[in-house]
Amino acid sequence: MEMRVSHEIEITPTSVILDGQPIAVNDTGEKMLVELYRRYVGDYPKFFKMDTLARLGFIAAEIVLKQQGQTCNSQQPTAIILANRSASIKNDTDYLATISDGNYYPSPALFVYTLPNIVTGEIAIRHHIQGETSFYVLDNPEQLEPIVQSTLATRHSPAVILTGWCECSEANMFNAKLQIIWNN
Amino acid sequence: MVYCAGHSIISPLGEGSQANLEAVRAGRSGLKQYTDRFPSVEPFCASLFDTPQSFVPLCIKSVELAVTNVDLASSQTVFVLSTTKGDNLDLWTPAQTIARHFGNPNRPIVVSNACTSGVCAQITAKRLLDAGLYRHAVVVGCDIQSQFIVSGFQAFKALSPEPCLPFSPDRKGLNLGEAAATMVLTTEPRDGWCLETGSIHNDANHISAPSRTGEGAFQCLQDVLEGVSVSEIALLGVHGTATLYNDDMEKIAIQRAGLENVLVSALKPVFGHTMGAAGVLETIICALQATQSYSVNRTSFIIKMLSGFGGVNAAVRWRCE
Amino acid sequence: MEQLIEQLKAQIIDALNFEDMTPADIETDAPLFGEGLGLDSIDALELIMLMDREYGIKLADPKAGKAIFQSVRTMAEYIQQHRTK
Repeated sequence: MEMRVSHEIEITPTSVILDGQPIAVNDTGEKMLVELYRRYVGDYPKFFKMDTLARLGFIAAEIVLKQQGQTCNSQQPTAIILANRSASIKNDTDYLATISDGNYYPSPALFVYTLPNIVTGEIAIRHHIQGETSFYVLDNPEQLEPIVQSTLATRHSPAVILTGWCECSEANMFNAKLQIIWNN
Repeated sequence: MVYCAGHSIISPLGEGSQANLEAVRAGRSGLKQYTDRFPSVEPFCASLFDTPQSFVPLCIKSVELAVTNVDLASSQTVFVLSTTKGDNLDLWTPAQTIARHFGNPNRPIVVSNACTSGVCAQITAKRLLDAGLYRHAVVVGCDIQSQFIVSGFQAFKALSPEPCLPFSPDRKGLNLGEAAATMVLTTEPRDGWCLETGSIHNDANHISAPSRTGEGAFQCLQDVLEGVSVSEIALLGVHGTATLYNDDMEKIAIQRAGLENVLVSALKPVFGHTMGAAGVLETIICALQATQSYSVNRTSFIIKMLSGFGGVNAAVRWRCE
Repeated sequence: MEQLIEQLKAQIIDALNFEDMTPADIETDAPLFGEGLGLDSIDALELIMLMDREYGIKLADPKAGKAIFQSVRTMAEYIQQHRTK
């Protein structure tokens, strides 16, 4: 089994690096994610309903998959396998604020994002990917490698995996490092 | 090949897989009405432990009950935890605490794939074992109910005020539940149950509404049916949450896969929706049902399917002897 | 009534995170679901919570919301009749 990384993107609150080359951004943190949305997408208002974790994964996937061009179709089954350390804690905290004592109005729009795998669903919807979507909570990004390798080794293994770390612990504390991996 | 070396269930209905199977057979249910269990939430119907449980001790007890001759402290053993909200919203730390409690030197893996987590955790464990990275995997599924979860499902108008009625035209929604369940998987051949295949697919349709065509669930069923005939399936463990849209979606997926005449097991009226535990708990009960109650053949196959938020669907096929 | 309609539009934009929209962009009589604003099932649930939070109106049955959430005007009319705050 051989695997090949075709493209890679890294997003931090202050930087975006695509295939090793920095992309110039004006804003930082959550505002930078909106800036990237306006530059690379612009016509998908559902973006503004997403929590920060989903926005981060969505925009990272958008930019890196654009590099790839046409990848996601039934001839090349695609999987999305992401991981982080703190699950959906940033959005969990936002939801908790809507069920506080004396101000109890639980928000369904926030509740639906209190699961870390929603970001994989958002990417799947946007890119019409009906393959596997999985989310793991791990100690660090290295721990994801054997999981991805063992996924590639299965009989029905996907041809392409969009995979990597997608972490958001607070509103302006996040980092994503996503790769497109080909199963050769 | 991956075999089951031991299993356990702890639910409000009892401790141990066999005790819970007997509760199912006796027609008992853990579902009760609650009015003041959590602050501010509306009255609800759920299956909860009489004495509120802590996440980590409950998981540890579940693993201990599944005791086998597998060395849990070995570097050849990995812990895989299936949960949605973990210990008060923390998922990683409790997993590490549980693995360390058993002297396990490896970093555990937490599968957090919404309501499909318990089936996905079995699939992840099987892959790691098949790839030769470990020889044994301890798959633990657990969720504890809270104001957080109940308020959210109430805001979603997804809860039934009465015991749920999966696939009934009169169904009004789901009931939540809490439980811990463990399956110890091993590459060492043994009699009993064998995890043959698993599949995960996304609907790519909506983050909370099930697909109207059942596409992801159908693709999962199609994958796990490969290599067996429908007549060999002794039991299909459905998700059967009893929400209007989930059950409609599942019905379509089951029909599309040609499984409409297979006996189904829908366990939510007994245990409620136990979230991260559901995939593990319901797989164990289905396998026991197939081997101890329903099966006339010596060998039979069961399929366990689940669907969840994020549009994710999953299914596994076990061979049961 | 007109004042309530304007207030409601602002609350809808805020509750549903319509980033690039102002109250003037929402037509009072246009359908909220389907062709109009294109709201989905989660938006409907969020509108139910908005009715509770801002106007003290509890809608237990989501199906009853269909008639109320036809347009901003039908929402405003319902609020005017049933508000408790």
